[in-house]
Amino acid sequence: MAGKRDDERKNSVGPVLRAGEMADAVMQALEEDNPGKEFVVQDHVAYLRIETEGECIVRRETIERALGRPFKMPELEVNLTSFSGRIETTEDHMRFYLEKRL
Amino acid sequence: MAMLDRSEWYDLARSTNWSPRYVGESELFPEALADPYRLPEAAWAAYDEPYKVAYREYVQVQREKDAGVYSVKAALGRSKFYDQAGPEWMGILKLHYGAIPLTEYAACALQGQNARFGRAGSMRNMATFGMLDEMRHSQLQLYFPHELLSRDRQFDWAHEAHHTKNWLIIGGRHCFDDVMMTRDAVTNSIMTSLIFETAFTNLQMVGLAADAENVGDFTFANLITSVQSDEARHAQLGMPLVDMMTRHGKKAEAQRAVDISFWRLWRVFAVLTGIPMDYYIPLEKRHMSFKEFMHEWVIKQFDRQLTDLSLERPWYWQHFLDDIEVHHHIQQGGVWSYRPTMWWNPVAGVGPEERAWLDQKYPGWNASFGHYWDTIIDSLLAGREDLTQQKVFPPICNVCQIPIANRPGPPWKARAHQLDFEGRRYHFCTPVCQWIFECEPERYKRHESLVDMLVFGRFNPPTPDTVLKYMGIGVVSEGGRDSNGYQWIETYRGRHGHGPKGHVSPLADCALTPKGNKRLWVLSRFQGDGHVKTVEIDLDFSMDEFARYCAQFSIGHHAKDQPGKTLRVRRTTAKDDAAPFPREMRFGACEPRQMDSFDVYFADLSDRDREP
Repeated sequence: MAGKRDDERKNSVGPVLRAGEMADAVMQALEEDNPGKEFVVQDHVAYLRIETEGECIVRRETIERALGRPFKMPELEVNLTSFSGRIETTEDHMRFYLEKRL
Repeated sequence: MAMLDRSEWYDLARSTNWSPRYVGESELFPEALADPYRLPEAAWAAYDEPYKVAYREYVQVQREKDAGVYSVKAALGRSKFYDQAGPEWMGILKLHYGAIPLTEYAACALQGQNARFGRAGSMRNMATFGMLDEMRHSQLQLYFPHELLSRDRQFDWAHEAHHTKNWLIIGGRHCFDDVMMTRDAVTNSIMTSLIFETAFTNLQMVGLAADAENVGDFTFANLITSVQSDEARHAQLGMPLVDMMTRHGKKAEAQRAVDISFWRLWRVFAVLTGIPMDYYIPLEKRHMSFKEFMHEWVIKQFDRQLTDLSLERPWYWQHFLDDIEVHHHIQQGGVWSYRPTMWWNPVAGVGPEERAWLDQKYPGWNASFGHYWDTIIDSLLAGREDLTQQKVFPPICNVCQIPIANRPGPPWKARAHQLDFEGRRYHFCTPVCQWIFECEPERYKRHESLVDMLVFGRFNPPTPDTVLKYMGIGVVSEGGRDSNGYQWIETYRGRHGHGPKGHVSPLADCALTPKGNKRLWVLSRFQGDGHVKTVEIDLDFSMDEFARYCAQFSIGHHAKDQPGKTLRVRRTTAKDDAAPFPREMRFGACEPRQMDSFDVYFADLSDRDREP
């Protein structure tokens, strides 16, 4: 079994967010910060799973614009319950990515 | 006043290593507590946590999280939700609060160990935040059920459960002691941060939240997703360690830590999360099946992460996929059948519509688990509630501490995997738990399960009441009863293949009792029963008497009679191919040893005199 990769093991990455205002803002910012990328959003009532292929980034400034108020990147943690892929965190962005592509 | 950006001082703030002068490095960081893999110092110096946070940010964010959780609680406190919530939902809350808060508290100690013995300052830094997180989780999840205590004494188990020897709690504690409390800082970070907090806590804390919202318990949904937002951060502690191990020739050791903990946590979470999701949530409120949540969070998300870390799927992956179809279903039957030993009121959840749903989500459910519940329904319709409560205990796996059970009905898969080691016989639910034991027998060999204690004569008198009290039942609160007082069986009366008055086989009642001193504990593996049973028998029984004696613990409980056939006895073997013993043979003449396993099965009458 080990080594056999099925269709479920695509290169999906992205945040899982508690449903609400912040999730909507992040979705809007992701579209803006990752031009040309296609995002799939699964609505699971309490949480939204947002996924795209391989890599995506979300920037503080873009979220700030989407929210219409000042925003610090660590605040995203309040609503970030999980994520697919690896994470990179700075004061200006969060990036979700994989080191190996299938 | 202008503030520096975090990135301008972060490296300095997390560099807290120094050169010890009064003690040696190995005294400061003993291998057994810190790093038995001896990863090079240069590797530790390069440890870089992917999810960065500074103390000021941490406090601000946590304050905001708590404000959110408490304000939702306060706002909804005046609603009548808990007045109107059904017994099924209250059962989920009691199960959750009994199992979780003090496990979170134990995780404080784990993070405390990492905050002291992590060899990189940055790892210690993250672990310190992790420790504060876990304290928050235990306090929140003790405070919320406290409010419900005035409604129902069973909520007292939130505080008490982990101080009891309830068998479910022992199962959880044994697992978490293994993966969190008794390893070095590297291994426990892989087992806990990477496996527990990345793969499994999502099921209970995020998946279940979807169901909670559907049911209308926004307070609970908000609470558990807030808890998981901490986990998403501090769970990142393990990833750099796996990268370090694979780069420095310790990939096999990392893989083994993954394989051990993944299985242990799977066995616990299937019971904790799988049973509520597939049986307790009212049908129309279910968001997805447990299996579908497993596919989303573990098979897809987590499995992909393993690949990215250059790790393989655990060697037993196919066995794990098979177990998703079975394990929590048979344990649901066990939890309901042993309901007086639970701290909540178990839900059967097997009305005709629920069964159609289960069979759709888990093809083959009706053809196996259906037999099990039809037996229970027939006994209840016949007014024989006594038959639906267990009089004997199942053997308990000496690794996962969960009753040994498997698919019931015609497939009849239940069996104990046994190992004789240093003069003691050990029992396992699966080859995987046996493999875990054999990896580190010194770690596991001294523990006695509740059934080991019974067999070793530790209970005096050895009666069910003694065992219940030992578990804390009747001490903390009364034990469980059917959640809706058996009203659910009325749907079946005279319908769905059940007569108006049910049915009970004469084999369900047995006048035989073990007499004299020639007694022995053995395992009864009864055809069609999903649970193996631990039975004390009389060596002077004939094989026919042995079969009839064992039948009373399965027929009418979990297995159906097969009229027109006769019961035969054989030793349990891997291929189910041992010849039956002669019916009149004295049981003691087969020279059984303590806890040997015997099959009791139905054979055609023409086979009755076939000799071994």
